[in-house]
Amino acid sequence: MPVYIDISRCIGCRSCEVACQRVHAGSGHINVHYVGDTASLPIFCHHCKDANCTLACFSGALYKDGERTAFDVEKCTGCGLCQLACPFGVVWTNKIAHKCDLCEGRDAPTCVTTCPANALSTDPDLPSRRARERAARAAAQGGRR
Amino acid sequence: MIKVDAGLCLGCRSCSNVCPSQNIVRTETEETRSIHWKRCKEECDLCVEFCPARALTLVAFDESVPEPDLTFDLVACKICGSRYATEPMLRRIESIIPADLQKDSGGLEWIRICPVCRRSIEADNATKLMVLDRSRLSPQS
Repeated sequence: MPVYIDISRCIGCRSCEVACQRVHAGSGHINVHYVGDTASLPIFCHHCKDANCTLACFSGALYKDGERTAFDVEKCTGCGLCQLACPFGVVWTNKIAHKCDLCEGRDAPTCVTTCPANALSTDPDLPSRRARERAARAAAQGGRR
Repeated sequence: MIKVDAGLCLGCRSCSNVCPSQNIVRTETEETRSIHWKRCKEECDLCVEFCPARALTLVAFDESVPEPDLTFDLVACKICGSRYATEPMLRRIESIIPADLQKDSGGLEWIRICPVCRRSIEADNATKLMVLDRSRLSPQS
């Protein structure tokens, strides 16, 4: 299941970046971006339903595996077409391509289990559920200040 | 040895990466990428098999034929100006993406933007939504 983000929770600490690099031999697939002084958020693979990277890949190294956009390192020639086809800039080529694999073989993606602010999750409904809960709490306490 | 169709070659990194005998030499500078195919006697067709453009063929060895050599100017990102891809590679991406996806993402302008700037744009867009969300949640007094 793809990773979802509750943007309002991101504190810009880059723990997700470090964690991703740690479990992927130094090549991370998640990038924390800062927007002025006001906001930060990690940018990572959306695991698109119709993934441009899989369309651009001629060797079959990138393919859809259910919700996941999977990568077969054995088939990659490192041509670089997938990197150019990704609208979000989250496929990298460094001799061969690398991208988010949702930490295949692990119980949960490491960025999710590492994030100290609980901004990342594999539950698509979590951010909206939290927002509803905040609104309900605020209403119960007589409105937000 | 290898014959190259210069009209088809994308200037990608495939053949130079897969060649097991370093007979295909890729040289990259900030502004150009050059590929040089040496006269090759190996019984190997990996480069032909893994060419995304089918630009390579194997032909009989001939001393008199010059070694193919192509140089591609790298295209500058429309935002930051860094050079990030060859023109034929970008054209290939433009032709590969289905029309309905192109419409959804507001045209194909993003292809002319480098991956680093694409991430920054994504960050800007995503946080714009957050700021809107916050102003919606704030009291209307």
